[in-house]
Amino acid sequence: MVFDLLDTDVSSANALRRVMIAEVPTIAIDLVEMENNTTVLNDEFLAHRLGLLPLVSEMAQSWKRPFEWAHDDDMIETAFALDVTCTVDGVLEVTSNDLVPLNPEHGVFPVNYKSETEKPIVICKLRRGQQLKLVARARKGIGKDHAKFIPVATAVFQYKPKITLSASAMAEMTDDEKQAFVHSDPSKTFKFNPITRMIEVDNEESYMYDEECIVKARELGRPDLVTITQQQNHFIFRVEGTGVLPVASIVRQGIEILYRKCVDLELGAREAVKLARDKDAGISGGGALMIDGGPGGGMGAPGVGGGMDMGGPGPGGMAMGMGGPGMGMGGMGMGMGGPGGMYGGGM
Amino acid sequence: MYGDEEHEVHEEGEDEIVQEDSWNVITAFFDDKGLVRQQLDSFNEFVNVTIQEIIDETPEIVIKPESQHLPGVEAAEEKEYIIKFGQVYLSRPQITEQDGESVVLFPKEARLRNLTYCAPLYVDVTKTEYTRLEDDTVEEKQETFSHVHLGKVPIMLKSERCNLHEASTEQEATNLGECKGTSASWPAPQGGGYFIINGSEKVLIAQERMANNHVYVFKKSQPSKYTFCAEIRSVVEGSTRSASSMSIMMLAKGKKAGAAGVIRAQIPYIRAEFPIFILFRALGFVSDRDILEHIVYDLDTDPAMLEALRASVEEAQEVQTQEEALNYLGKRGSVTGASKADRIQYARNLLIKELLPHLGTEEFMETRKGYFVGYMVHRLMLVALGRRTEDDRDHYANKRLDLGGPLLAGLFRLLFRKLCKELRMQAQRMVDAGKEINVLSAINEKIVTRGLKYSLATGNWGEQGKQGIRAGVSQVLARLTYASTLSHLRRVNSPIGREGKLAKPRQLHNSLWGMFCPAETPEGQAVGLVKNMALMCYITVGTPSLPVVAHLEEFNTEALDEVTPADIAAATKVFINGVWLGIQRDPTALIKNLRAMRRQVAFSTEVSIIYDGPLKELRIFTDYGRTSRPLYIVEGNRLLITKHHIRRLIAPAPDEEEYAWPQLVQDGLVEYIDAEEEETTMIAMTIADLRNAREAGSNTGTTYTHSEIHPAMILGSAMGKQAMGMYATNYQTRMDTQGFVLYYPQKPLVCTRAMDYLKFRELPAGINAIVAIMCYSGYNQEDSLMLNGSSIDRGFHRSIFYRAYKEEEKKAGSMSREEIEAPDPVVTAKMKHGTYDKLDADGLCPPGTRVSGEDIICGKTVTLPEDPSGAVQRFSKKDASLALRGHEAGVIDQVRRGWVMLTTNDEGQKFVKIRVRTICIPQVGDKFASRHGQKGTCGITYTMEDMPFTAEGIVPDIIVNPHAIPSRMTIGHLVEALMSKVASLMGSEGDATPFTKVTVDNVSQMLHDLGYQRRGWEVMYSGHTGRQIRAQIFLNPTYYQRLKHMVDFKIHSRGRGPVQVLTRQPAEGRARDGGLRFGEMERDCIISHGAAAFLKERLFDQSDAYRVHVCERSGLMAVANLKKQQFSSTIYKEGSNVYQVYMPYACKLLFQELMAMCIAPRMQFDRDALPP
Repeated sequence: MVFDLLDTDVSSANALRRVMIAEVPTIAIDLVEMENNTTVLNDEFLAHRLGLLPLVSEMAQSWKRPFEWAHDDDMIETAFALDVTCTVDGVLEVTSNDLVPLNPEHGVFPVNYKSETEKPIVICKLRRGQQLKLVARARKGIGKDHAKFIPVATAVFQYKPKITLSASAMAEMTDDEKQAFVHSDPSKTFKFNPITRMIEVDNEESYMYDEECIVKARELGRPDLVTITQQQNHFIFRVEGTGVLPVASIVRQGIEILYRKCVDLELGAREAVKLARDKDAGISGGGALMIDGGPGGGMGAPGVGGGMDMGGPGPGGMAMGMGGPGMGMGGMGMGMGGPGGMYGGGM
Repeated sequence: MYGDEEHEVHEEGEDEIVQEDSWNVITAFFDDKGLVRQQLDSFNEFVNVTIQEIIDETPEIVIKPESQHLPGVEAAEEKEYIIKFGQVYLSRPQITEQDGESVVLFPKEARLRNLTYCAPLYVDVTKTEYTRLEDDTVEEKQETFSHVHLGKVPIMLKSERCNLHEASTEQEATNLGECKGTSASWPAPQGGGYFIINGSEKVLIAQERMANNHVYVFKKSQPSKYTFCAEIRSVVEGSTRSASSMSIMMLAKGKKAGAAGVIRAQIPYIRAEFPIFILFRALGFVSDRDILEHIVYDLDTDPAMLEALRASVEEAQEVQTQEEALNYLGKRGSVTGASKADRIQYARNLLIKELLPHLGTEEFMETRKGYFVGYMVHRLMLVALGRRTEDDRDHYANKRLDLGGPLLAGLFRLLFRKLCKELRMQAQRMVDAGKEINVLSAINEKIVTRGLKYSLATGNWGEQGKQGIRAGVSQVLARLTYASTLSHLRRVNSPIGREGKLAKPRQLHNSLWGMFCPAETPEGQAVGLVKNMALMCYITVGTPSLPVVAHLEEFNTEALDEVTPADIAAATKVFINGVWLGIQRDPTALIKNLRAMRRQVAFSTEVSIIYDGPLKELRIFTDYGRTSRPLYIVEGNRLLITKHHIRRLIAPAPDEEEYAWPQLVQDGLVEYIDAEEEETTMIAMTIADLRNAREAGSNTGTTYTHSEIHPAMILGSAMGKQAMGMYATNYQTRMDTQGFVLYYPQKPLVCTRAMDYLKFRELPAGINAIVAIMCYSGYNQEDSLMLNGSSIDRGFHRSIFYRAYKEEEKKAGSMSREEIEAPDPVVTAKMKHGTYDKLDADGLCPPGTRVSGEDIICGKTVTLPEDPSGAVQRFSKKDASLALRGHEAGVIDQVRRGWVMLTTNDEGQKFVKIRVRTICIPQVGDKFASRHGQKGTCGITYTMEDMPFTAEGIVPDIIVNPHAIPSRMTIGHLVEALMSKVASLMGSEGDATPFTKVTVDNVSQMLHDLGYQRRGWEVMYSGHTGRQIRAQIFLNPTYYQRLKHMVDFKIHSRGRGPVQVLTRQPAEGRARDGGLRFGEMERDCIISHGAAAFLKERLFDQSDAYRVHVCERSGLMAVANLKKQQFSSTIYKEGSNVYQVYMPYACKLLFQELMAMCIAPRMQFDRDALPP
């Protein structure tokens, strides 16, 4: 998906990019219980491969990450079974289609599961007599924890270029020179119009800022031929998903998470200011913090992730630092949530 | 792919081959020879020919009874026994199991069960008994024992005697549990070339030595007694006798006037040097003229040389007859006090047996030897008169390589002699005891079996416990990467002292071109002494010289006794293997004829023919160990090989069976040229040079390769051997002590043609990583690099580390018995502190168990002997379990058990190998390298969002610091990167073969056409801020290797821990959880800081602090009972104080050791200085 982001600056654009990569939650296999594995690949190897399988993650938003679990009806995981034995001569491929969801009602499947058109992903190959039997548990996670949770293949942006060609400079150039100029840009930004015998901007957005054409213009003795500027408040975003989530949803969630972070930051900042004021007034901040920090610092409310991920710049960090035991618990919960289990998905 | 727009235009149509066609020929060479041919050829020669030769050359064993004379007993009839060895038979590798059953042994089983892959050797023995009867007739009784066991010979894998020899297809080899590489159907029949001794793979490293039977003339560096010196090490072809060296020297101006320029000789067993004319006279050349003619050949034309010999003529004036000369030598021999006749006889024998034995050790060889000595003097004079330069010690024509075959032959000869000696002793004892000779029991086959095994297992070449044995001849085959295995099998060692600071033997010599790799040599002490063979290098196996000699005689070569010295001056001298055979008056025709014979394979293709014009010599060599290489034959500036042959190579004509390398040799299209013949051969570098020579008469061409600098190539080839990849296709079934396997190895985007033959694509060792050369946050300074953490999550450079442990039930005496079991803590003493919980009932850890630290992975107990007093013991067993290495953790991967017999006589033992697997995920501190010597350790891992990115969405896997490039000038690194980018965009492979038409500009143009900046630069954006990075970044795929050095195997620290038993100082090394040495330089540093207390803490308190009690009066250590607070001096029972003193334990130890030597170190106390 390609979209434009306007009226903002690089930092926001980059924040959005980073959030889309690292913080949009998805579901991936996180724990594998091996029952029988007589394949050539060892348990850890298979666990790692299974972890990297993309799973349809539209449910991820309503799920809880393992350490966020609070109520019995909170969804934290779903399971798949896999049991393949090769009884034929030759090679049998174990693919993502062989994963059987144990809870199909959860709506979590491998991407392109049993698709007519798309080929499944190969997990392992079996020879006669080999067996692979396991139960894989998928959980919610974010790209920060492990690359398998990253919902995008690429999420990048660039400044929108503004290219102006000087007609006066062009007038003094021969056709050969014009052709040479057009060919100097590897990404085919320009074209030579044989009718008007003018250089035209063919595709502005394909320009890569490699300045080859500027160098060429200078070489041709026409440094004024082309002027290229970056529009500092206009970004071309290119986002490609891995199939686990629709790209639009990734972007929307990214913005949402970013927004929530901002709200959290604001809250935190207010808290810190209040704290500082109270301290000046000689009132102990502990009680007040516990009340406000409660939802954030308590057992895994959503706010914590945001607060921690900011890496603690400014007042937010201050609030955290003073958060005391409550916050510590939240942090610890996170640390333990990821890897635990038999084969931590090769983390 | 690149630069093929330049079409070569040929005027002669398509008959002449082009450079591209040569690759078909090269492929044919490797299809036939493979990469370890030298090893296999030399071993096959040993097994098929040399063993029988060694046995045939052994003299028969004659035994006469030395019966005791007993009074009253009639002397027994005169008897004589002769034992002779006949035909030998070498079987196939097999093993005799405990139950006496012999089964065919395959290498896989030998490796897994720690057996030796060896085959029994049998020999026919005849015993003849001669009895002298009373009527003086001799009665003969012959008895033949066929197939007597002589010992077991380790068999080289894939040699003709190997059980894998017939496993020609990949499938068959795989079914036998071998690496695919060992099958013949892999384009090159690789694999093999090594032995399996006690389960470990051993390679015999080729040993370099100076060639025998060569005359070398050297200038002596002054000041020295001599100015020039001609030397020869004479060895009889195919004999074990150690070399007999002889030298002829020219004296420098000494104290005695007139001595300058005198020529003296030095021969074995004669104590001092003596005038050369005496040697001639002793050989029977008496008159001065006669002698001079043997040196100068034509006395009339060379007055200068005659003049130079004047002093020598005069020096031998007092000895004028042969008798006198022999007497002169006899006096200086090792026998003293003998009569004159004896002395003369001694000298005569000496000249026959010890002087230049390669010319013959029979009588009447004086003419030959005289001429040869004359020739040596002649050569010496040529150098002395400045007509020739001195010989080059380092020229490879003067070197020979001893490969596995000759090395084993030498060893086998030694052992067989020993066996014969013992056989004779045994037989003699039997005869003296009046018994019949029992040949079967007198032959001790263990001598050969054990001797061969000992040398191959330890690398000490020679008999155990003897002096002068070479170490490191046999080495454990490197199995880190397939490339390291191949390289190890083609290694050559020069056994010159590593300490010698002489640079010359280490330098790259011109004559190494095409024979040895100019880059692949280790750094440090062995630089240049350890070499690796070039891919196309062929080592001769040696052929008998007889057919060539016969041919020479047919071709009117006049023997030396038939010619006069004057003839020699005009004709060409003919040498074969250093023996001067005769002279030839028409050398041109002869050489032409000999070459033709060789090209028709009328005699072996490896015979080298050298015509030395200036010396007027024709030298022919047929010996083993010469380095040679195949070259196209050119006649009339035109290659004999044509397109026609190439087509047949690719697809043989329907009527012919096969057209391959041997046919190319037979058809006289290519021939092997050795290092010496190369010196006399005109060699064109390219096909174009020949064309130029034909057309324009000028034949110079310039061809350049990449501009890679040399040190970078040395580093690159050293590091390639430490890379992880897929070291063998059968790694799953192997139990190597250490093994590294990469999760996802990739074949490189850019390869060379030669890599086809190394099978690098099939067994790769690296990953095509996206590499940015940039400064990003500073975490890649000083040869470190940044890794993309998300790539690592996805499996980038992830690897498996295997470590195999071995345990067996050894037999330790009759009293104690070892047993593999889970030890019962109630009855087992000295249990280790690791957990025993992971063991199953059988005492082994089951596969899939997570193990760490010092967990017990195999339980074993030793029964304790019963207390002789009959008291009830608490423990009946002692623990001897095997624990996991302290710093490692992993999962039990595979457990293989077996009941093994080491040799037929040994008991079958319970034997188990346990393999533990650990997943190694790249982390900070792990080492990586490109293929150009650019190594670095990981400085930080950044996740994807923190990495810089391009507008296309490319995120680097690795970020290298640009400072690694300019000073090292590793252009290849950059060219590879650029070409990889083109290759990846085009979906094809790049070809980086040197001497092709690929240029950086070609590649750049292609990149531009593909829509990228020509030099591989990309505009990037910071992952932290999103801002565009000011400079454009060189961002391209580059093949990166993960090296075996990983922090997790090196990390080490210690507070307190184990100490050495003797000195009580901290132990050394990570494996023992030792301390970190606070050495002299650290000490100096602390002294300069004046931090005395800290120094004392490091060197004393934290090391071996100890407290002793000292008697004041005697100054010696006293007895202290701290519990009872009783102190007493051992010397003064009364009237002395005891002081408490702190000192290093090492000091206390020293004092006690001194006391044991009757030296009393007395400590004195200054009361005033003591604290109150």
